[in-house]
Amino acid sequence: MIFESCSEIRSYFSDYIDGACSTEAVQSIRYHLSHCIPCTVELERYQDLQAGLHGLARQQVSPELALRLRVKVSQELHRRVFQRVMVRLENMFRPVLFPSVGGVLVALICIGLMLGAGTPRVSNIPDVPLNLVTPPRIQVLAPMNFDTGNQPLVLVTYVNAQGRVTSYKVISGQHSPMLMQRLDRMMYYSLFQPATSFGQPTSGRLVLSFRRITVRG
Amino acid sequence: MDIVRLMDVALDRTAPTVSDEAALVAELKAGSEEAFAYLLAVYQNPLFNLISHMVADYAEASDVLQNVLLKILRGIRQFNERSSLKTWIYRIAVHEASNHRRSWRRRLFHEPFSMDDEALQISAQTAIYRNNGETPYSVYEQAECQAEVKRALASLAEPYRAVVVLREIEGLSYEEIAEVLGVADGTVKSRLRRGRESLKRKLTARLSRSI
Repeated sequence: MIFESCSEIRSYFSDYIDGACSTEAVQSIRYHLSHCIPCTVELERYQDLQAGLHGLARQQVSPELALRLRVKVSQELHRRVFQRVMVRLENMFRPVLFPSVGGVLVALICIGLMLGAGTPRVSNIPDVPLNLVTPPRIQVLAPMNFDTGNQPLVLVTYVNAQGRVTSYKVISGQHSPMLMQRLDRMMYYSLFQPATSFGQPTSGRLVLSFRRITVRG
Repeated sequence: MDIVRLMDVALDRTAPTVSDEAALVAELKAGSEEAFAYLLAVYQNPLFNLISHMVADYAEASDVLQNVLLKILRGIRQFNERSSLKTWIYRIAVHEASNHRRSWRRRLFHEPFSMDDEALQISAQTAIYRNNGETPYSVYEQAECQAEVKRALASLAEPYRAVVVLREIEGLSYEEIAEVLGVADGTVKSRLRRGRESLKRKLTARLSRSI
């Protein structure tokens, strides 16, 4: 290869310093450089430029940035894995979702019905009171044949351990002699369940309230 | 910390061989965290070095590097292995840096610019060289020279700068550069020639002094 001018040979300097010229071109350039000082200077400039570029300090990732990158990569990877798992689960369950939900509902209904049929009946036997102290209760109340008027009649009765009324006191309401006589009669024929203390019958008080109720029909 | 730094330096530029690369790519496609950790250890410093020469400053380069790694992560399944992993990764980095630089140029007119950044870089450089037992003058001279070369490199038009950085700083072959940039070998040669000529013109005073 024969070069016509210095400018032509200089256009090959870039390839020459990279070793990308053919053997012929390299020989011609070397021959030209042996007697051309300006081209030699020009080539040295190229080589200096190359050395300057090679000598640039290499930028390194700081430990903080390296850590940040690791964290980012890890987050991204786990996000992808989670998404993949979600998609797989969705693909797995979607075809069987309707039949399975239907089946579960039918099973729940059947179990509910079976449990309803097998529920034990509530016993009519009254439970034994387990409280330490219980108040007296009405067992049999004699029929009432008196009129309380517009106001309710409230009275406190004292019941002994045998379930009998020992005395009573009218708290509110009218208390005419006739009414008191009828009340005496009613109390005499009424029977009470005595109050209990630790399971033993004992005397106690009971508040009774009577009110007139008119039923039409 | 020193051990970690040494490992980083040792792993820098140690790209996997072709036979290892296939296994590495398979692992990456399978989503192996260890494979990505290895990829980071091998490529994070070269990529950061490449990107820092393509964009404005350290913070910008950090952001771009993070975006590049995320793109690698998300796109590794689409990697068809027609090119090498290295050139594929470099291609992503160059494109990302170019896109970022374009958007950065748009933002530049709206954001304040600090003249202290370059001075800080030089002082940091000086601190590094001081440990090598050189004189303060030679240290400053060297740092100043590097700053001048960097300025000249940054002022190059983007196609030429990319080729020069890939060739001179990253040491890629013409074929690899052609793959990274998606151009013909001849285009790489001509861009490299024009880039070097342009750099030589910008650095004429500096090069004359050194000769």
